[in-house]
Amino acid sequence: MPDFKEEIRKRVASLQLLPVREAEIVEELSQHLDDQYEQSLNRGATEEEACGAALAGLAENDLLARELKRVERHIQHEPLALGTEKTNLLGDLLQDLRFGIRMLLKNPGFTIVAIIALALGIGANTAIFSVVNTVLLRPLPYKNPERLFMVWEENSKQGFPRDTPAAANYVDWRDQNHVFEGMAAMTEISFNLTGTGEPERIDGQRVSGSFFQLLGVEPQLGRAFLPEEDRAGANHVVILSHGLWQRRFGSDPTIIGRPINLDGQSFTVVGVMPKDFQFPSRTDQLWVPIAFTANEAGQRGNHYLEVIARMKPGISLEQAQAEMTTIATRLQQQYPETNTSIGAVITPLHEHVVGNIKPALLVLLGAVAFVLLIACANVANLLLARAAVRQKEIALRLALGASRSRMTRQFLTESVLLSAFGGGVGLLLSIVGLDLLKRFIPPNISQVQAIGIDTKVLLFTILVSIATGLLFGLAPAVQMASSNLNDTLKEGGRDSAAGHHGNRIRGFLIISEVAVSFLLLIGAGLLINSFVRLRHVDPGFRSGNLLTMKIALPETRYPDKQRRSLFFDELLRRAGTLPGVASAAVATNLPLTSTGNSVGVAIEGRADPAPDRVPIVITRVVSPDYFKTMSIPLLEGRLFTEGDKADSPPTVVISETTAHLFWPGENAVGKHLKVGRSTSPNPWLTVVGIVKDVRQYELIIEPKPQMYLPYQQAEFFEPRALVVRTNFDPLSLAATVRQTVWDIDKDQPVSDISSMEEIVSDSVARQRFSMLLLGVFAGLALVLAAVGIYGVMSYSVAQQTREIGIRMALGAQRSDVLKMTVGQGLRLVLTGVAIGLAAAFVLTRVMATLLFGVSPTDPLTFVSISIVLIGVAALASYIPALRATRVDPMFALRYE
Amino acid sequence: MLDRELKKGSAELLILSLVEDRPRHGYDIGQLIELRSRGVLRFNVASLYPLLYRLEKRGWIRGRWVEKAGQRRRRYYRLTPIGKRVLAAQRDGWQEFVGAINRITGIAHA
Repeated sequence: MPDFKEEIRKRVASLQLLPVREAEIVEELSQHLDDQYEQSLNRGATEEEACGAALAGLAENDLLARELKRVERHIQHEPLALGTEKTNLLGDLLQDLRFGIRMLLKNPGFTIVAIIALALGIGANTAIFSVVNTVLLRPLPYKNPERLFMVWEENSKQGFPRDTPAAANYVDWRDQNHVFEGMAAMTEISFNLTGTGEPERIDGQRVSGSFFQLLGVEPQLGRAFLPEEDRAGANHVVILSHGLWQRRFGSDPTIIGRPINLDGQSFTVVGVMPKDFQFPSRTDQLWVPIAFTANEAGQRGNHYLEVIARMKPGISLEQAQAEMTTIATRLQQQYPETNTSIGAVITPLHEHVVGNIKPALLVLLGAVAFVLLIACANVANLLLARAAVRQKEIALRLALGASRSRMTRQFLTESVLLSAFGGGVGLLLSIVGLDLLKRFIPPNISQVQAIGIDTKVLLFTILVSIATGLLFGLAPAVQMASSNLNDTLKEGGRDSAAGHHGNRIRGFLIISEVAVSFLLLIGAGLLINSFVRLRHVDPGFRSGNLLTMKIALPETRYPDKQRRSLFFDELLRRAGTLPGVASAAVATNLPLTSTGNSVGVAIEGRADPAPDRVPIVITRVVSPDYFKTMSIPLLEGRLFTEGDKADSPPTVVISETTAHLFWPGENAVGKHLKVGRSTSPNPWLTVVGIVKDVRQYELIIEPKPQMYLPYQQAEFFEPRALVVRTNFDPLSLAATVRQTVWDIDKDQPVSDISSMEEIVSDSVARQRFSMLLLGVFAGLALVLAAVGIYGVMSYSVAQQTREIGIRMALGAQRSDVLKMTVGQGLRLVLTGVAIGLAAAFVLTRVMATLLFGVSPTDPLTFVSISIVLIGVAALASYIPALRATRVDPMFALRYE
Repeated sequence: MLDRELKKGSAELLILSLVEDRPRHGYDIGQLIELRSRGVLRFNVASLYPLLYRLEKRGWIRGRWVEKAGQRRRRYYRLTPIGKRVLAAQRDGWQEFVGAINRITGIAHA
C-alpha cells in the first residue's frame, strides 16, 4: 500500500501546526485515503488506478491547506518544554517560572508546608548571619582598622597570658618601638556628674592624648584632645559621648567650651563624639586625658592599663611581635624586681572587641545551617512524593521530545521558586526574630544596636535561598533523570517512583535528617546541661532578696577616710532600720560583677618568694555586717565587729582556699599576713576568721584565694557598693534606699540599682544566649525531622497498601504489619542516630569552650538524646504504621 | 454533481444528521453521503476534514480516537448537545427553504 502520509504532510507543512496536531491530522486523513484505496482495489481497480483515485481526493495542491488554515488558526506556538534544538534561555526561564507558579498554586497544601519549613530554616540563618555579620565580619569603624592592635603584658607564669600593662612599661614600649605609628593607653574611670538634674554616676575612660587620632575618628562637635592636655594639671577637659550629650545636655550645640562638674571639679567640654562611636565599650559616656603624674608614669607594679597601637604600613604581625619581645626582654633585665616574668604580646584589636562571643556565634551559625539542611531534606521529600504523582506528566513530556536537561531545568526552577518564597517569608521572620534575639545578646558585645538587615545580609539570604532551592531540587531531578520512560508509561500512571530508586533517595534523606538533628540535639543538650550545672554552682552566698547599688563617694567632697566612714556609718545605720530591711552592708565590689582588686601578700615567718611568685589574693573591703547580709557562712574564728576600728589591731578574714593554701593542715586563725612584701611598712594583719569561698569573678571560675578587710581599718580601697538584705522583693525597696542616700547627701549619685539575682543572671548572659538559641534551633530541628519521618512513613505506607492488604489476606496479624512498618522506619532512624553519634563525637569538640562541668562526650547527654530522638522517630513512624493495620484487605486489593 | 456553493451550505446539515444517531468516522461519513445521495453528493478529503474540524471547533460535534481490537485507531465524531440544537434549527430552516423553492417552482409534494 502506498504511503499517503507523506503526501498529506507535504500539503499541510506550510501551516506550521503544533506537531501533535499535525500528527493527528496526517493520521486521520491518511486512514481515509487508505480506506478509499482498498475499496477501489476491491472493486477491481489496479493498484495504480486505486492510488490515483485516492490522491484525487486531495484535489488541487493547496485546497487542503487553504481549508485547514481557516480552522486551524492558532499556530506558531513555541512547543511546550520541547526545546531540544533551539535554546532560548530567557524565554525558557520565563516559561518555567510561569509554569512553576501554576504548579505551586495547584498544590497549596504542599506549597505552604514547604514554604514554612524553608522560611524557618532561611529565617534562622538570616538572623544569625546578621549578628555574625555585624559582630564578627564588619570591620571596626575606624581608619584602617586592620592595622590596630592591642598590646598586653604577657605573664603566663602567674596565670595571666594577657595582662593589662603597668604605666611605666607602656611608656617604655611606646618610646622604644619602631613598628607602631603610635600607641595609646586607656583605663576606666567613673565620675559623679552633678550640677544639672539628678546627680549621676558616669562611666568613662582616661585616655592618652593621641587616642582619637590613633583610632582615626573625629568628634562630631569640637575637637579631640591636644597633646598638651595629656599632662597632669592641664587635663581638666572632657569629650562627651553622643548619648550623654543628648540625655544630659539636651543636644546643646553650644556645650563646647562650657564647664561641667565631675566629682566636684570643673572640666571643660572640648568635644562630642558621633553617635556610633563606642570605644572601648558601649557603657563609656565620656573621655578625659589620662595625664600620668610622674609617680604614676614610674609605676611597674600596678597593672591596670589597656594599650592600643597602630602598626606602621608594611610591618607584619611577626615583625611587630619580635620587636615587642625584644623590648620586654630588655625591661626584664633592667627591672628584675618587677618585670622578671613579664613579656609583651600583641593581638588584633578586632579579636579583642569581638571577645569571647566568637565561638558561640560560630557554633550557632553551624547550627542554623544544619536546621536549614533538615528543612531542605524535608522539602526534597515532599518534592519527591509529588514528582511521583507527576511521573506520568513527566514521562509524557519526555516522550514528546523534551530533553532531560530541559526538564531538569524546569524542576530546578520550580524548587528555586519555592525557596525564593521561603526566603522572602524567612526574611520577615528574621526581622521579628532579631528583635527578640537582641534582648539575649550579652551586654559586653559591642555594636548590638547596629545589628540589622543590610545589603550583605540580603545578599546572603538570596544566595542561601538559591542554593537551598538547587539543593533540595536536586533529589527529584536526579530521580527524574534516571527514571525509565518505558516502564512509567507502560505502568499506565501507576506510581513507579515508589520503586527502588525513589526509596533509596528518601531513605538517604531521612538518615541525614536524623543524623543532623541528633548533632544539634547533642549540642543543645550539652549546653543546657552546662547551664543547669552553672546555675547550680554555689556562688558562696545567697543571692535571693538582696538589693544592690553603687555609691561612689567623690574624693573632692570626701577627701579623707574619716568623712567617708561617717557617711557610710550613717547610711548603714539608717538603711538597717528601714522597714523590710534585714541588714545592710557596704563593700568595695560585689561578687560576679567582673570588677575588683587583688593584692600581693607576704606571710609572717616565711621568706618573700621571687617577685613572680608572690601570692595574689582577691581583696574586698567590707563593713562588719557584710557576711551576714550576703549570707556567707563563717567556718572558723569570728567575723568583723564594731570593735574592729581604725585604732584597734588590724584584722583580716580569709576564705577557706586562702587558709588551705597558706597554712595547709594548720589552724589559720591567729596567723598573720600583710599586704605587699614582708619588708614593707604595711601593718601585719591578724587572721580572725575563715569564711566559705565566694566566686568573685564568674561562676565558671574556681574560687581563688580571697580575703576581707574591715572598712574602718583598710587604707587603700574604698567601698563603692551598698548591699541590703530585704524581707521581700528587693527592688521594691530601691526607691526608699536611694532616698535614704539623698537624705544624707543630696548630691551623691546612686547607680546600677539591681537585685543580686539580676547580677548572677547577667553574669551567665553569654551562656544563656548560646544555650537558648541552640536549644531553640535543636527543637526546631527535632520538629522538622519528626515531620519529615512522619511524611516519608505515611507515603511509604500508602505505597504498600496493596502489599499490606495481601499479607493480611494471607493471614498476617496486625502486630506483624505494625512490626514491619515501624521496623522500616526505625532502621532508617537507627542508621541516622549511629552516623549522628559518630559525627557528634568529633564535632562537639568545637564546643568545648562553651561547656561547663560536662565533657563534650558526656555519656548521659548522649544516651538521653538518643532515647528522645529514637522515641520521637518511633512515634512518627508508628502513627502511619497504625493506619496501615486498619487497612481493609479487600479495599487494599481493589485499590489499584 | 451540484454546484460547490450549494453543497457547502448544506454540507453542515448533512454531517450533523449523519452523526446524530451514532458516532461515525470521517471515511464512514464520506461514504454515507455518497451512498445515500446515490452519487450526487461527493466530498473529497481536502474539503470533508476541514469541515469536520470546523464543526468540532464550534462545539457541534466532538471527535475521539477509539481503538478496537485488531484495527487501527480511528477518530469517531458524535453530536454534542449544542450540535443537537443546531441540527434541529437547521432542519427547520432547510425544510422552509425547500418548501419555498417548491412552491415557487411548482413542484408538487411527493
